[in-house]
Amino acid sequence: MDEMSAFTWMITLPLLASPVVYLAGRISRRRNWDVGMISHWLAFWALAATWIPFALAASDLDKNGPDTFQVGQIALRLDDIGLLLAGLSLGLGTLVVLYSGPYISPDHGREKYHSLLVAMVGVMMGLGCAHDLFNLWVWFEAMAISSFLLVAFYHEQAASLEAGVKYVVQSAVGSALVLMGIALVLAQTGTLDLDKIRLAADDSNMLLAAGALFVIGFGVKTAMVPMHTWLPDAHSQAPSGISAMLSGVVIEAGLIALLRSLSALAGVTPTWGELLMAFGVLNMTVGNLMALRQTQVKRLLAYSSLSHVGYMLLGLGIALYAQDASGAQGSFFHMLNHGLMKGLAFLAAGAFLYALHVASGDHSPLLISDLSGAAKSYPMMALGLSLAVLSLGGLPPFAGFMSKWQIFAAGFETHNGWIQALVIFAALNSVLSLAYYAPLVNTLYRQSASPLVQHGHPLSIWICIPVMILTASVIAVGIWPGLFNWLSDPAGSALLAAFGLGG
Amino acid sequence: MSTLTILAGGALALFAVGLYGLLITRNMIKVVVALQILVKAALLALVVAGKASDQINLGQSLAMTVIVADTVVAVIGLALAVQVKRVLGTMDLTELSKLRG
Amino acid sequence: MDWLIILTIGIPWLGAGLIWLLEERQSRLQHTLAVVFALAAGVAALAMLPSTTEQVELRIKIGSVFGDFTFVPDGLGVFLAVVATVVGSLAVIFSVDYMHGEAQLGRYYSLVLLFIGAMAGLVLADSLLLLFIFWEITALCSYSLISFYNDDPKAVEGGIKALIITQLGGIGLLVGALVIYAYQGDYQISRFLNEPEVLPTNMLSVMAFGCLIAAAAKSAQVPFHTWLPGAMEAPSPISALIHAATMVNAGVYLLARFYPAFEEVDGWTTAVISVGLLSAFLAALMALFATDLKRALAYSTISQLGYMVYAVGTGAIFASQFHLLSHAVFKALLFLSAGAVIHSVGTRDMRQMGGLGKQMPFMRAVFIVGALALAGLPFFNGFWSKELILEDGLHEGPVWAYVGMLAGAGITALYTFRMVWLVFYGERRGSGHIHEAGRLMKLSTGLLAAGTLTTWLLIGVFGEMLENTLIYHHLHVESAPTLLEEIITAPATLLALSVVAAGLLGWWFRAPLAGIAASFKPVGQAATSDFGFEWINRRVTDWTNAGANALRTTQTGSLNWNVFGIIGGLIVVLVILALGA
Repeated sequence: MDEMSAFTWMITLPLLASPVVYLAGRISRRRNWDVGMISHWLAFWALAATWIPFALAASDLDKNGPDTFQVGQIALRLDDIGLLLAGLSLGLGTLVVLYSGPYISPDHGREKYHSLLVAMVGVMMGLGCAHDLFNLWVWFEAMAISSFLLVAFYHEQAASLEAGVKYVVQSAVGSALVLMGIALVLAQTGTLDLDKIRLAADDSNMLLAAGALFVIGFGVKTAMVPMHTWLPDAHSQAPSGISAMLSGVVIEAGLIALLRSLSALAGVTPTWGELLMAFGVLNMTVGNLMALRQTQVKRLLAYSSLSHVGYMLLGLGIALYAQDASGAQGSFFHMLNHGLMKGLAFLAAGAFLYALHVASGDHSPLLISDLSGAAKSYPMMALGLSLAVLSLGGLPPFAGFMSKWQIFAAGFETHNGWIQALVIFAALNSVLSLAYYAPLVNTLYRQSASPLVQHGHPLSIWICIPVMILTASVIAVGIWPGLFNWLSDPAGSALLAAFGLGG
Repeated sequence: MSTLTILAGGALALFAVGLYGLLITRNMIKVVVALQILVKAALLALVVAGKASDQINLGQSLAMTVIVADTVVAVIGLALAVQVKRVLGTMDLTELSKLRG
Repeated sequence: MDWLIILTIGIPWLGAGLIWLLEERQSRLQHTLAVVFALAAGVAALAMLPSTTEQVELRIKIGSVFGDFTFVPDGLGVFLAVVATVVGSLAVIFSVDYMHGEAQLGRYYSLVLLFIGAMAGLVLADSLLLLFIFWEITALCSYSLISFYNDDPKAVEGGIKALIITQLGGIGLLVGALVIYAYQGDYQISRFLNEPEVLPTNMLSVMAFGCLIAAAAKSAQVPFHTWLPGAMEAPSPISALIHAATMVNAGVYLLARFYPAFEEVDGWTTAVISVGLLSAFLAALMALFATDLKRALAYSTISQLGYMVYAVGTGAIFASQFHLLSHAVFKALLFLSAGAVIHSVGTRDMRQMGGLGKQMPFMRAVFIVGALALAGLPFFNGFWSKELILEDGLHEGPVWAYVGMLAGAGITALYTFRMVWLVFYGERRGSGHIHEAGRLMKLSTGLLAAGTLTTWLLIGVFGEMLENTLIYHHLHVESAPTLLEEIITAPATLLALSVVAAGLLGWWFRAPLAGIAASFKPVGQAATSDFGFEWINRRVTDWTNAGANALRTTQTGSLNWNVFGIIGGLIVVLVILALGA
């Protein structure tokens, strides 16, 4: 066993903190200690402390290149893609924990929520570092397990249970498909290490089938159409902080797992790029059309996640097809931005859900019409939600425009007519998405307040702070698009290198 | 036909059975059972793959890990089933298809 | 110079941010701050006038695929920046009276100031990506301000329609910017104009037609014009500023800017001329039959923008930009004075007006000044610029287009006089108390009226500035006396004036001509139904919605079906890979 390095601490810290958070919350509740939100604050400080090893690992990676940590057969390796996922999950995770303090009432099992959330953040950071096919699956499964109970968190609500059941079953089917794929790879190549597989891989049908199993299996979690059907239910029924995590990080983690597994099979067929592009176009179209006629805010946002996965897939497909890192860099940039934007959208929508419904014990969904005139009573939240959706719709000067632009520019750089047509199609999709984002903004800024808004509850400062931070960053990235280049650019190059394509 | 081929065929058959079960069943418990069959197929496939690549130990240790993870999923599935029964008073999946569109 | 660019864009944006933060009850402060910041931006823009140049004056390094954000304050850009900020200031001053006592003033002024800054940025930008970013920001402001009265479903619909249509067209510009980047490696417009050959021929024509689509959508040209009438739900100062004087000109500006690169593209100039002609002629007819005062003005804007687009098509860049200036001034005047009238009467329906001249003599006077300029009567600013366009069109453009434009000029005169008559003369048809407009309303319209009478005097300075700084256009503009003399003595002018006079007489003798008018009834019906373009819009919307609803049935909520999705996906991918490998 090697010495623990910064990045292993980054993964272990949240994983160690998780049971502590649970026990502390549990014991303090049993004993009726008057320590209020102990589990919440423990969880927050655990994640806050994780930023230290994260920063050390990031600078270490920048200086010395990828670092490997060996435990017996299992190797963990932090490369630029892993760092990107770690940064995304830690960043959004910290804000979500902060936000969830007042959002989750004590009688719902606050300690369970926070402990699982912290564990999920740790597991996702681990997932990014897996360098072995089976290890990847283990982290992936752990991520799924930690999110199952969070999705079905309101387990007295029929709708929440329904979403949970679908999520569990579809995830489990997906992970079984991945296992079958792993078995095929093992039988064919005799190894599970990603690099060794890539070197040993030939164009046999077994490996081709394994690739299909990976695409579909991980695709369930990535919400690729037609495996997406769990997503609108789970994202709209989960507590809003979890919706933000699911949409902002978990589906992206699935995407990274998918890319890792495909990178091992890079030599099997040259069509991975085209396949990803095809899924990208499908996701965009279906996501946008499904969102167009939604009346529930969170469901609308959930479908919009589908279309944004589509943009990422398009950029990644372009990168693999053209063997040029810029598409992947755009996609990873969009991944980060999507985390910010969709995190903001779900947290702000969640704040409204909380103020208008949950705080009065009502678990019915938040309708768009409920938000009528909300800007007057909740100016900060209304601004946050408006900017988030306008940014998602790709309007400058917000973050979403910049990363979409990077993907589009990569598409045009290929000088390939078909890909350029796909880019134009993606731009059309962006315009279509405004047709459902814009009415949301209009509703928020009406003058006549809906009855729910008139009797809305006040919001805690801890709900407002994460929303403000995210609002500021959506604008900041829009004005200074180079802000996250240090994360997204090396990740894009690392992906191409992992596929053995120059980079 | 070698043992390995037969076992591989068995894994495939189990897999098909599991998927078929998920496609037709309307009962929450049966869904969990079908999932288990599906994962058992994958387990069998892993062991066979280990044997096929002359790494039987590796295959078996993978299988052990999968069993652990899979048990947790099964427990969660069953816990959800219990909760469904408690809240909705039925195990019928038709009661669990209210979220649509 | 570079700090003046930053100030021109930055001052209004700073103001926007500050005003947003103010409380609702500090409305006096909101009004004052808005006026101060708008005026300051105007001063900054004016200060740029003496030192225009074709050089890159400001470069902000962004890196990766975004290139450098560069600004070039050349004659055209600075001039339009001045129009945006000065007309913007006047519209803001007008708003102090017009928006008095309205709720959500903070949002109103913030968006107006954001718009002013973005518009100045749009015309000064030399990076096509930056231009596109500002282009989209103006669309965002336009949308938010059209639907400023969010409680009114018509306002919301109008705003979203404007947003969607301009964005749809904006894809053309997006493609243009991406094409430049893909072949040139950066977004610099000046570099591209210097050497358009870096693009392969087919890509150049993709870009040329892409820009035409974007311009047509932004400048509300046929067939994308349908959003502009709907945009009239905005408060009147917004209609004057965004939908008459500035944003809608962006399309014409874009075409003029890229003319040297695109003129050789097969069929491009013909397409531009056709778009201009169709818009000028059809919109004039629509204005003739409109009953809503602001809609009539909106159609008239489409028609006048058609003249500018036509002028670009015939290569008359100077004439088009000069008409842009005249139009910005007199149309802002018309919209603001119409706004004052509407504010006072409480309706936009011209059938409810009539005889308002007695109660509102000042507004009548300034409106008539604007109307005479619109009709193209000597010696208002509209006369000079329109005659210049028609004269160039006669010499450089095809005859069929010229005839159409000439007929359009006649119809313009006709609808203008109809409008003046219906609003200010005859008997009052509505009821309710009428009050003369507020002092600040009079101030801003008075200044614009003075401008309408005088901006043509700038013809020499403007021409010289464009000639000196638009080096890729190879413009040759005569000195002011020569130009003016040429316009007055040209046969084209006499021809145009007689057509205008015919239009005027047509309105004067409308009673004896009633029989002929009756035979035009089908035309009127077609014009009021927007010549079927509105129908196409509705069909597209309906089909999209129907498609979305149909797709929603695929989300059945059944777990079995969801699992089937996974299996089906697996099979399809297996088949694709088996075939593709």
